Amino acid sequence: MAAAALCWALRAARQVLPSSCPRQARSYYVDWRMLRDVKRRKMAYEHADERLRINAIRKNSILPKELQEVADKEIAALPRDSCPVRIRNRCVLTSRPRGVKRRWRLSRIVFRHFADHAQMSGVQRAMW
Amino acid sequence: STSSMLSKDKDKSAASKDSTPEGAAKSQEDGAGAPKQQLLDIIGSMKVEVSYRKKLQQLKGSENKKQAMNKLEGPDSEGSVPQGITEDAQRGKSLNPELVKAASAVASSLPHNKKQTESELLAQLRKHEETTDKQKKGETVNIRNVISEMTVKRQSPAQWGARISSRISLQLDEDGQRIRPERSSAKSMDSRSLKVGKRLNIFTKASTEPEHALKTVSSPTIWDLEFAKELAAVTAQPPRNGFEEMIQWTKEGILWEFPIDNEVGMEDDAEFHEHIFLEKHLEGFPKQGPIRHFMELVICGLSKNPYLSVKQKVEHIEWFQKYFEEKKELLQEI
Repeated sequence: MAAAALCWALRAARQVLPSSCPRQARSYYVDWRMLRDVKRRKMAYEHADERLRINAIRKNSILPKELQEVADKEIAALPRDSCPVRIRNRCVLTSRPRGVKRRWRLSRIVFRHFADHAQMSGVQRAMW
Repeated sequence: STSSMLSKDKDKSAASKDSTPEGAAKSQEDGAGAPKQQLLDIIGSMKVEVSYRKKLQQLKGSENKKQAMNKLEGPDSEGSVPQGITEDAQRGKSLNPELVKAASAVASSLPHNKKQTESELLAQLRKHEETTDKQKKGETVNIRNVISEMTVKRQSPAQWGARISSRISLQLDEDGQRIRPERSSAKSMDSRSLKVGKRLNIFTKASTEPEHALKTVSSPTIWDLEFAKELAAVTAQPPRNGFEEMIQWTKEGILWEFPIDNEVGMEDDAEFHEHIFLEKHLEGFPKQGPIRHFMELVICGLSKNPYLSVKQKVEHIEWFQKYFEEKKELLQEI
């Protein structure tokens, strides 16, 4: 009985625990701006549904205008970081706000670095 | 090369043994040594490697010299057959005089010290004679002892064989027990019945499983969990190759399972009519007015949405219901 309980616990532990081999685990973001961006993304995710519904009421020609004005006030009352517009697609490795390619989430400099070292699968120098 | 030379020498002596009785028979018939002469000529023409001879000389140099001196006087005189016999009889060994003659011929064919080579050949002949005499007398005590010793430890060679074969094949049962097939094979080899011994439970479902399952639910203590975590941490070896790494990633959820299943994580138990016909959720709303109109549009949009589950759609509608109930006072003013 105890052995069976142990076995079950073992299985659960195996699935949860990562391997004992040392892996590179980054515990810090590149800089504070990246951290703030991460927070904004989280908040936007939490309030996305509410925002969608309130906007559906606002951008409406059927409902009375008073209702829509109330909805405007409500959406303005939501935390500022909950809107998706404040999210900036920064480079994942260098936190560079400009020159970021969306497909790879990397800035142009980092992308070029990896592509030249043949670490980007399927990326080749253009020549035509 | 030494082993081959040894065998050559033995062959020579054996050949000489075999040939000389034939030769002896023929000589008895003919009275002339024509085939013998041919044999002797052949032996004389045979060449031997020098190195082996040197080794033998080093081994048996001083011992045989005295014997050789005594022996040579015998075979040298061809007519002195009884002398050779008497001399041999003095030592208690009976050597065929024709063998001795063959030995002398071989010695003459060799480049080195002929007396020493003759003596060595004769020594080997003597050894052969001794062994044959022993066999004739029936001195097989040593062999019998060996066999009797073997009977005492009868099972061990069988077990060793089984173990070696198991090591080579590395067979694991479905129950993960390696030792059992050895025991069972050894037992069957000992001519006992096959039903003796523990059951392997390969084909019959173990009836004890449901009993264990009922007992386990009650007590996973914290210490058990801690122990299990420690065990998992210790036994989890780092991956030896890329395949094991990928297996680990798949278990953790980093890597998808191949072939890719597009509907992983999507448990859509609902039928299509639950997605499309959402009017039954509109019971809380007034049947006339802009709100109803608005909600019907909402429902139309939701029915065309393939990405939301039924639960999410229902939540959407309920949120609107809540919102409009809160705003009822406002609405009545209008």
